[in-house]
Amino acid sequence: MTWLPYAVAAWLFAIGLYGLASSRNLIHLVGCLSVCQSATYVLLLGLGYRYGSIAPIFYDHPPGTPAVDPVMQALVLTDIVVGATLSALLLVLTVQAYKRSGTLDPEHLKPMSRGGDKAAPATSAKHPAR
Amino acid sequence: MIASLLASWPPAVLVPLPVAIPLLVCAALLATAHLLPGRTPDILATITALVVSGLSAIIAVQAGDGSVDYWFGGWQPRDGIALGIGFSVDAASGWIGAFIGFLYACTFVFAWGFFARTHGHFHILMLLFLAAMIGFCFTRDLFNLFVWFEVMSVAAFALTAYHLARSSIIGAINFTVVNSLAGFLMLGGIGLLYARAETLDFAGIAQGVAHAGRDPVVAGGFCLVAAALMIKGATVPFQFWLADAHAVAPSPVSVIFSGAMVSLGIFGLAKLSAVVFDGSAQIREAIPVLMIGLGAISAVLGGWMALLQRHLKRLLAFSTISHAGIMLIGIGTLSAQGSAGLLVYVVGHGLVKGGLFMIAGILLATRASIDEIALRGLGRGIAPAGVAMAVAGLLLAGLPVGLLDTGANLLHGSLTAAHPYALAATIAGGALTGAAVLRAAGRIFLGLGEDPGDEAGAPSEAEREKADRPLWLMLAPCCAMLALDAALPASWIHGMAPGAVTAFSHHALRGMVSEGPAWPAWASVAGALGLAAFALFRHRLPRLVVGPIRATQSAPTRALEALHSGLIGDYVAWLAVGLALMAGVLAYA
Repeated sequence: MTWLPYAVAAWLFAIGLYGLASSRNLIHLVGCLSVCQSATYVLLLGLGYRYGSIAPIFYDHPPGTPAVDPVMQALVLTDIVVGATLSALLLVLTVQAYKRSGTLDPEHLKPMSRGGDKAAPATSAKHPAR
Repeated sequence: MIASLLASWPPAVLVPLPVAIPLLVCAALLATAHLLPGRTPDILATITALVVSGLSAIIAVQAGDGSVDYWFGGWQPRDGIALGIGFSVDAASGWIGAFIGFLYACTFVFAWGFFARTHGHFHILMLLFLAAMIGFCFTRDLFNLFVWFEVMSVAAFALTAYHLARSSIIGAINFTVVNSLAGFLMLGGIGLLYARAETLDFAGIAQGVAHAGRDPVVAGGFCLVAAALMIKGATVPFQFWLADAHAVAPSPVSVIFSGAMVSLGIFGLAKLSAVVFDGSAQIREAIPVLMIGLGAISAVLGGWMALLQRHLKRLLAFSTISHAGIMLIGIGTLSAQGSAGLLVYVVGHGLVKGGLFMIAGILLATRASIDEIALRGLGRGIAPAGVAMAVAGLLLAGLPVGLLDTGANLLHGSLTAAHPYALAATIAGGALTGAAVLRAAGRIFLGLGEDPGDEAGAPSEAEREKADRPLWLMLAPCCAMLALDAALPASWIHGMAPGAVTAFSHHALRGMVSEGPAWPAWASVAGALGLAAFALFRHRLPRLVVGPIRATQSAPTRALEALHSGLIGDYVAWLAVGLALMAGVLAYA
């Protein structure tokens, strides 16, 4: 039992969050999200690890040999699948966003414009926004 | 005949079916959709959702005051150790599953012909979404819960961006990033809990948690899992993604998002905090502070933001934040009454809010706009929709009729003595959101409200949806949902609630479930009517009255709008703040 993997996991998550918060490029953003996710890999593998034990494959070991926790490894595998799905989906969305707006900077990509739709008929011209 | 056949089966046989059937139909559709004629996917999907709803209801009845357990592959627990993965359905989970099935069926009818030439992709994603939600309700395994959480998220991300318009893509990116972080937090929390309890079964983890005492690993696990579910449940300060995603998703998808997905986050948190974390005194001490505090802030802030919007779907999205906050307060009471209120509220709110999003969809289809100010007076030709919107607005404000009120009434009863501030927040939340909906109804369908006021500065955009569907087809599911909400008798709920909550919480929450006071509902309705009337008639009021209100309200209004910037970086920063806040409260509990 050592604190090192947990410190690494916490650092990875924090640095990933910092990257997400300060990112000016959507592709960079997807990379930062993967860094955050790597924190969960490290955390889970660190939790399941046992010193001096084998991988949980008993093909050439007698049953009962100390092994690392296979449940954690299964969780990490699932996590990797989730990560691949998310990255693919986000990159597809990034490509589509670039096609439609010609930029990858989140600062220039906001879901809606303030003050409403300029093209809409001005039904409230009598009382313009103050 | 079917009923007698069902009676002779062991009850557990049915349990996996509400998840398996939509997944099978989904796979079959994916393989054959390009061969199927015209509207077949619509018909298949609607029937599937109704079957899921019916099966869930049967399971809920069978569960009675206990639960129906099913272990996949026959991996029954041995000597109290659960190696397999199981579903455990109590009456509350079963009825919520039935409600979700019904909501999907209504949505499929509403979306009849909505997507031309999709090769059934919309229906495939929706059925996957449905299966994930039912699995999320039924499971008794923490990792399985995470898997359904992720399946739900991925289907939701894809559905948000379905139109591939500029706004919907950006909204979907914000939604995906924030909810993926929720998934990572949850997985980290599950890892920590597994490290303590060495099992992933709810009952096993509960034993481990009770055994551990005051333990930073358990508290950390709770913090991460709860934060993840509160991100899904759009609690302040994790709520930012919701307004972006719900406002830009196609309207049938928004029905599901607001009606079921957000409240399922709260439902999951209620289940976990009662079933799994009840044994830890530290967590029991932190829950009232966190849930009631953040819930009350969400209720008021969401309601206020809703009142400031002009984009109808964005307005409804903020009202969902407000009502999710009210549900969260129910968890914080740590009482059987509060939880019963929360569970009934989930269903009642889903029916009413789903109906409101359908009316927004009707306006998008028949009037080609979603902007309240641009639509002023344009709803005159579709009066039935206006009546439905006004009724839904009154129900949302707390009109003492039907299911939503039964839930709110139970919640109010659990708050009156112990948490007066939370009671005030729930009343304010109902009044503000009801006022926003009533104001929009008055402006669109009656042409009132010449003065656009502060709403004029809110974000909006041009949007339209496919227009060739008849009005009655779109209005029928909306009316069916509102009618169901209004028709379910309170006495039936009151009779079922005590047993259902005991089973839902695995005997952690016991006690009386009694009727609450009636005045909060009327206070809330009166507040909503007053605020809506002020917004609609403010140009007729003397300047002496309107001037000071406008002057004091404008600055905080602009600050609030600026917070919801649409920038993913800001959202992530707020997420970190919220996480730190939760960790701090847990550390001092």
